[in-house]
Amino acid sequence: MSARRVLAVARRIAEGFRRDHRSLALLFIAPLFVTALLGWVLRGSVAGTIDLVVAGAPAALVDALESAAADPDLDVEVRIEAIDDADGARGAVRDGDADVALIVAGSGANVGLTIVTQGADPTTEGGQLGVVQALISGAAGALLPIPGARLPEISRETIYLSPDADQLDALAPVFLGIFAYFFVFILTGISFLRERVGGTLERLLATPVTRAEIVLGYSIGFSFFAAIQVVVLTLFILARVEVPALGPIPAFTIGLDVQTAGSPAIAFIVALLMAIGAVNLGIFLSTYARTELQIVQFIPLVILPQALLGGVFWPVERLPDVLQAIAHVLPVTYAVDALREVMIKGADFGSSVVQLDLAVLAGIAILFVVLGAGTIKREVA
Amino acid sequence: MHPSGPAPAVEALDLRKAFERIHAVDGVDLDLRPGRIYGLLGPNGSGKTTLIRLLAGLSKATSGEARILGTRMPSRPMLGRIGYMPQSEALYPDLSVAENLGFFAALQGARTRAAIDRVLELVELSDRKGSPVLELSGGMRRRLSLACTLVHEPPIIFLDEPTVGVDPALRVQFWAHFRRLAAAGATILVASHVMDEADRCDELLFIRAGKVIAEGTGAELRAKAKTDNLETAFLQFAGLDAEGRPVDGSPAQ
Ligand SMILES: Nc1ncnc2c1ncn2[C@@H]1O[C@H](COP(=O)(O)OP(=O)(O)OP(=O)(O)O)[C@@H](O)[C@H]1O
Ligand SMILES: [Mg+2]
Repeated sequence: MSARRVLAVARRIAEGFRRDHRSLALLFIAPLFVTALLGWVLRGSVAGTIDLVVAGAPAALVDALESAAADPDLDVEVRIEAIDDADGARGAVRDGDADVALIVAGSGANVGLTIVTQGADPTTEGGQLGVVQALISGAAGALLPIPGARLPEISRETIYLSPDADQLDALAPVFLGIFAYFFVFILTGISFLRERVGGTLERLLATPVTRAEIVLGYSIGFSFFAAIQVVVLTLFILARVEVPALGPIPAFTIGLDVQTAGSPAIAFIVALLMAIGAVNLGIFLSTYARTELQIVQFIPLVILPQALLGGVFWPVERLPDVLQAIAHVLPVTYAVDALREVMIKGADFGSSVVQLDLAVLAGIAILFVVLGAGTIKREVA
Repeated sequence: MHPSGPAPAVEALDLRKAFERIHAVDGVDLDLRPGRIYGLLGPNGSGKTTLIRLLAGLSKATSGEARILGTRMPSRPMLGRIGYMPQSEALYPDLSVAENLGFFAALQGARTRAAIDRVLELVELSDRKGSPVLELSGGMRRRLSLACTLVHEPPIIFLDEPTVGVDPALRVQFWAHFRRLAAAGATILVASHVMDEADRCDELLFIRAGKVIAEGTGAELRAKAKTDNLETAFLQFAGLDAEGRPVDGSPAQ
């Protein structure tokens, strides 16, 4: 082994990098970018307002809850509304008018408390629940006739998923659309880049094929694989298959057994729309790359922000205003919303939310198709 | 140069293409007739590829005009009448020989098995149908690339250095086939910087720095330059001496 040759190779790589400004910028700027974004999101999502609707509570209890909520040590704002009827309170939570409902039944020693949340977003609701429980402890004096008596057991109720649904139940269905989107983007980006660099695109353009045909062909080809991916992923997420022990292999289960309410068929359509958008985004962005490595470099730039802002991990409504505005132009946001509506809340095509999401996704897919096609006839080097 | 005879198949009218500072094609006029093989000869960087791409409608001229069968290029419908063999391989490495050929044949609307088998026969790849391009030798890839160009039997054929890396025996067969295609009425333009292929062409175009510096049959050009050697003739038309230096004594650029 010759140290001289090793150094020569190292030097060639350094020289290559020096001329590759994009790689260089990405090497240093991208980590800063992503880290900053992450910090912004995490810090920005702490504050918020909880809308609490209280049903069937005596006036004294409502007053006590209100004064507990006014405690300056409480770092969130709680808006309390008192109503009479327990079903009305459940309705308010279901419609999103309230975050949490506290339903009081009976009185004195027989008082029963029920806390109701949507059950669509266990992470957020867990935090809200903690706040409401703190308020109840603070208002315990008004609730219990005898000072010092034990608080009654609080029962939990959710509208959609069961109260013991975990974070995975809320997160997994969302992945259906997201994975396909990201994988298809990278695959198309690389394969179209190969077309451009390898000269096959030039050969394609020397035939009577139109760019619409190219874009469509690509969309179908990759959507086909995306479709298979979605089906497999759906099965994996929803199913639970017990594999019995066989010889030395112990018994195990396959699948996440995630609870869902809605139709996987609609989720499939969402994922397909996302994949078509991704194919054309890949074609579009392949114009701006010269090597496969540079396509991979789009991941921190294009994909991570979408994963962070699109509502996969943090609800869009809890992002700072600026980030919310960005989130509303990302296709992922609409896909996540539609998937949540369908898979967790059981919505179908009749739901105006789902209709709007699908319309926006279709619109974005068309926009990407136009962008992608627009880059094809541009002079190939 | 053809006062009579058939209508021109390929025309260029003061065709120009500039890349930032380089004038890759710098005012070329052409008039190519059916049934003939034209040789486009010139050194590296003289603009052969750029000229062919302009003629084939793959890039837009800075000024001037290219016409195929009387239609101004770029024109998509005309592309179906053109066979273009790029200088680079331009094949899908992970697809097999037959898949590559089938793909380009399909794009050209020539999906018949017979057409595919015929060109495979011509380039002697029939027994490698199933091999991925990745596993072919360099010369085999050139052969497949030619097959992809000819599969739809186009009347206008542009070949950018078609015989690079092809062995002598097959090279002779290639030229015999080009001759058959021309006899059947095709117009063929072959770019090359190999002068020994020039004599197989009906007419030669010497190109240097984007300009056609001489044109005519091999015999005409030899007579004009008063030499038997085409290479010497080229140097003379280019204003260079036998060692490639400008004859007026100024340093070569
Ligand atoms: N896309 C491009 N951008 C900038 N310059 C280009 C481009 N394509 C070609 N050129 C320049 O145009 C000139 C002619 O190039 P061209 O490829 O036509 O030469 P050629 O005659 O085919 O050479 P060779 O025999 O090496 O294939 C060269 O100076 C080249 O650098
Ligand atoms: Mg060339």
